Amino acid sequence: MTAQTDAPLLRVCGLKTWFHTFGGVVKAVDGVSFDLSPGEILGIVGESGGGKSMVGFSIMGLIDKPGRIEAGEIIFDGRNLVSLDDNAMQAVRGRQIAMIFQDPMTALNPLYTIGNQLEEMLTLHTDLGPQARRERCIEMLAEVGIPQPEARLGAYPHQFSGGMRQRVVIAIAMIAGPRLLIADEPTTALDVTIQAQLLRLMKAQVEQRRTALIMITHDLAAVSQMADRIVVLYCGRVVEIGASAALIAGPRHPYTRGLLDSIPANHQGRSRLPQIPGTVPDIRKLPPGCSFAPRCPRAAERCRSEIPELTAAPAGGAFACHFPLEAAP
Amino acid sequence: MSEEPLLRVDGLEQRFDASGSLFDRLRFENGRISAPRRIVHAVNGVSLTIARGEVLGLVGESGCGKSSLAKTIIKLHEPTAGRIMLEGEDITGYGFQRMQPVRRKMQMIFQDPYASLNPRQQVSDIVVEPWREVAGGTSGDAHERAMQLLAKVGLGAEHAARYPHQFSGGQRQRIGIARALSVNPDLIIADEPVSALDVSIQAQILNLMLDLKDDFGFSYLFITHDLSVVRFISDRIGVMYLGFMVETGPRDAIFDNPRHPYTQALLKAAPRIGQPLPPAAEQLTGEVPSAFVLPQGCAFRTRCPLAHARCATERPALKHIGAGQSVACHLHEADETPLPAAALSAAA
Repeated sequence: MTAQTDAPLLRVCGLKTWFHTFGGVVKAVDGVSFDLSPGEILGIVGESGGGKSMVGFSIMGLIDKPGRIEAGEIIFDGRNLVSLDDNAMQAVRGRQIAMIFQDPMTALNPLYTIGNQLEEMLTLHTDLGPQARRERCIEMLAEVGIPQPEARLGAYPHQFSGGMRQRVVIAIAMIAGPRLLIADEPTTALDVTIQAQLLRLMKAQVEQRRTALIMITHDLAAVSQMADRIVVLYCGRVVEIGASAALIAGPRHPYTRGLLDSIPANHQGRSRLPQIPGTVPDIRKLPPGCSFAPRCPRAAERCRSEIPELTAAPAGGAFACHFPLEAAP
Repeated sequence: MSEEPLLRVDGLEQRFDASGSLFDRLRFENGRISAPRRIVHAVNGVSLTIARGEVLGLVGESGCGKSSLAKTIIKLHEPTAGRIMLEGEDITGYGFQRMQPVRRKMQMIFQDPYASLNPRQQVSDIVVEPWREVAGGTSGDAHERAMQLLAKVGLGAEHAARYPHQFSGGQRQRIGIARALSVNPDLIIADEPVSALDVSIQAQILNLMLDLKDDFGFSYLFITHDLSVVRFISDRIGVMYLGFMVETGPRDAIFDNPRHPYTQALLKAAPRIGQPLPPAAEQLTGEVPSAFVLPQGCAFRTRCPLAHARCATERPALKHIGAGQSVACHLHEADETPLPAAALSAAA
């Protein structure tokens, strides 16, 4: 947690990413704020439709029509990325901020060798000569644990297994030395023994270079092993943010509590699991007050009319709830 | 457990021919033309039993053959070898016609709630289709039956006339469960029924599946890759690797005292909430070998930290080691000579 004393590398402030569809305005991200220091790992968790991937895409400047950033700032290293034009953003993307996608099967171009795809990053973002680029590629593949890296430069993506492809994707993301890495469900498509290998690899890579990491996932267990702090999203809004250990030991928001309770491993014996009733509401027709109110066991009249503000907790962290759970003793 | 189990599977094997057409197979090597076949060894001699009212959880990573095993048991694939006995009746060689009455006893719930429902059928028709096939009831009965089934899985009468696309993933899985229930089966094979669902919805469906089991008294063969789910729902657990059953036992024995090195590694690799990443030394290295060419000897030896000479030559059989737990590993055979010192120090 020493990282937090540094000036933030990234400050997202009141971010609103909306999609204007024929069915209505989809407020995928609706007023999200957080900051991130160099070398810090931030987990963004939530269920499908929570808007967590859209936060990542917004930072990367990858929001396409009918979506757009309606309001808010994304201050990266002193510059507001929202106001950059395409060319300026292109220089940031890949060089300063890199992204790892969920599906290693589709993230690589099947028509180019992995050597080509790695080297492209160096050609675009560095002044290295051909020989130096080649050496750097071999070095990088070895670093992510690809055996016989020199021979594998000429191989195509289909010649790799899923776990190995994700290693290649990590190598491509890290090779230009980005200062912020965004990983969107990086291990969801992989088996548990391979997932453990890759989480360790990612953690080693970012620690070694003091790269900041945003890990976006639905898997609270995996994120709790990686992140310094965790942001919980529900229907495009931050419902809780806090240091990982504190948030897991003593969540203040009923949704965070519900998510934690729903994990079967946290449950002793084989009685019924505590469950969150109902389903995530249609994001085009959110209830007027707190979006979680229809599913919340603590909801009262006030929750159905007034959207709770994110308020700082005395013990650190913040939550958006009118009737928060007791702080952990 | 002295009575005849509901389901008994003996030495089941499933091999798929993935060679393609003759033209795909043709090879020209050393001046000779050959057309070798490529065989996937999906299930390799698996034996298991399920008692009435019992939940057998089957875990393993992708490609370990757990889905192939399930589909072979329910005869969506013809087994290559072995025997499948349901209530003492040998159904191994049954063709489509003779399977019809058997399907009344055995139903399946699929992983993907989007692909497993016919998009052009109303929900009330979907849920009674298996029942219509085996019982041939009238339409009046069918409607009433559909209403009962929907109520059982927590859906209302207003949902009956809708189509699958009007439902969320969790609701669709409820429809799939209602369909399996329609014939009052004795065994439900559930292939990753909650993997596609969000964690809050997953808890709802797991609770529903347990409630229904208590109501109806059927058994589950529950397939999942998620260790926390299998721990929650199972009475007994089987662990598969590369088409082999490597360990079986009561749930608590598997979790508290896993004996096979693969089970141990799998449990350690699973992310646990609030725990740090496991140390690298406890992690498995490498990846699962190809099911086209099985390793000689033990299938796990290429990744096993404790493998020794015997593992490369002799395939370990699943042997009972007490308290209902069985393991297929040379380290746990009673007549095994003490482990070579080199193997032990390599593991430490």
